[in-house]
Amino acid sequence: MKKKDLGLLVLILVVGLGVYLQNPLFLSPNNIANTANLIGLFGLFAIAQGFVIITGGIDLSAGSMIALLGVLFVDIVGNRGVPWPIAFVIVIILGLLLGLAHGLLITRLKMPPFVVTLCGLLIYRGVARGYTGDATAGFPFGSTYPGLDFFTARIYGVPTSILLLLVVAAIAWVVLHRSVFGRYLFAVGKNEEAARFSGIRTNLVIGAAYVICAGLTALAAIFFAMYTRSVSPSSHGNFYELYAIAAAVLGGFSLRGGEGSIIGVVLGAILLQVLQNLVNLLGIPSSLNFAVMGTVILVGVLVDQQWGAYRARRLLAGSARESGAKPTPPDPVPER
Amino acid sequence: MAVLELEDISKQYGAITALTNISLTLEAGQVVGLVGDNGAGKTTLVKIIAGNFHPTSGHIRLNGEPVSLHGPKDARSKGIEIVYQDLALADNLTAAANIFLGRELTLTARTPEEAERPWYRRRRWWLPVPEILDYRGMYKRAGELFMELKSETRPRDLVRRMSGGQRQAVAIARTRLSNPRIVLMDEPTAAISVRQVAEVLSLIRRLRDQGIAIILISHRIPDVFAVCDRLVVLRRGEKVADKNVADSSPEEVTGLITGAIERA
Repeated sequence: MKKKDLGLLVLILVVGLGVYLQNPLFLSPNNIANTANLIGLFGLFAIAQGFVIITGGIDLSAGSMIALLGVLFVDIVGNRGVPWPIAFVIVIILGLLLGLAHGLLITRLKMPPFVVTLCGLLIYRGVARGYTGDATAGFPFGSTYPGLDFFTARIYGVPTSILLLLVVAAIAWVVLHRSVFGRYLFAVGKNEEAARFSGIRTNLVIGAAYVICAGLTALAAIFFAMYTRSVSPSSHGNFYELYAIAAAVLGGFSLRGGEGSIIGVVLGAILLQVLQNLVNLLGIPSSLNFAVMGTVILVGVLVDQQWGAYRARRLLAGSARESGAKPTPPDPVPER
Repeated sequence: MAVLELEDISKQYGAITALTNISLTLEAGQVVGLVGDNGAGKTTLVKIIAGNFHPTSGHIRLNGEPVSLHGPKDARSKGIEIVYQDLALADNLTAAANIFLGRELTLTARTPEEAERPWYRRRRWWLPVPEILDYRGMYKRAGELFMELKSETRPRDLVRRMSGGQRQAVAIARTRLSNPRIVLMDEPTAAISVRQVAEVLSLIRRLRDQGIAIILISHRIPDVFAVCDRLVVLRRGEKVADKNVADSSPEEVTGLITGAIERA
């Protein structure tokens, strides 16, 4: 675990302790399970976002994709009578295809990721609303689907979503930090040209990042759809891409690419949900929700950056004293 | 026998001619300085040899055999390594990670030779895990390479925190990974302090002593005279001189570069 991750963990614990002292309900089993469920849901596509951000890209379409795929999943299971495992596979494949489309547009046609996924945000939202005629997609009244409650089940009180998050995070950690592909992601994100000159097929690596991102987002979309049970296409998943980006930035990802860790982004997702919970438990008007979140992220990143700059200065002064020579100064502002 | 022979290499970008009929031979254990003004075609020529560009016309022969290079990976597999001007390092990674970039040692491919193979020709390719990096193996080998080059660079250090000379050592160590026969260096002394230039020049000599043929592109005439055996001058895409360093002088080279002297 890196120092940055440790700092974030301490922040989560401090905030958690503060909330607990104000309202002991914070640590009630029910509240923990609810928060854990949300962490699981948001963590899934925050990790997904991390894969894209590390290549220096961004995926703004996550929220709309969650709405569109959620609508489709509920509709084909509830209204078209497709068995849910088949619907599950269809939705995941659809997600992967959308990711592939993003990846191809970005790598083959050299479009900026921001533009491609911003258009995705608009298109998917529009298609979701158009598909149901702006009506809420839901399951027919009284219908049950054997096995489908897996997505909302609790095993000994532990929500399946957080268990899945643990599994996905473990795999993602191995892939990003211990595998060749992960190393290529870091290299491509920092210096795509260098990576290409080293014989890395950079388009393949970047494209794969978008496919992974969309695939995980599709998985999260199904969980979200089952969590809400009904999907209103105009509001479902609004701003969720920003939660994911915020979690990644809090977790030490650089929006310029090449920096980040899976532990960091998971901790970022946890902190965001704890803050959300804080707003509810401390009786802060929920309309201030975003304001609280924005302020904490701003202060957190600011402190981290200033601390980084301070340490860089100390390091520089220290090594200058030691060797009598000046090493090349690091970037004046540490990259986020 | 010549390690590398270029015959009448030309390169055009649309209507623009970057190189006209360049011929050049390179012997093992020889350092050839390639000099010329900005836009004279030095980098284009090197990128053709490195497989980045295809020549519009002309032939390349390696050890007497005609070859056609399909990309940098292909060139590398044929024993041609390149140190790029902008160093082509990813400075968010460690020295070792940069040395092995694109040919990482993994738990299924534990040697550089095997790492260069496509996955389906590797031993144990059927192992159903993603290719897991062999950190320890890479740190160890990187440490050995730095030792060979007598550089004090540490494999675990981030390239971001390194001086220009250390970055060069990383870039040069990269080329040693595969026992190349030819190393191309594009302005290795351009971006570093005077003190570190000497360090880099001695790295070049160490490569030469191992029998590697080197093409050194440089703007810095003193560096060329310090390490090169032969020098080739390009002007506006044409070769205007190809002679032993001992028979030339910095004044003559400057004249050839600027055009004050037509040909030599």
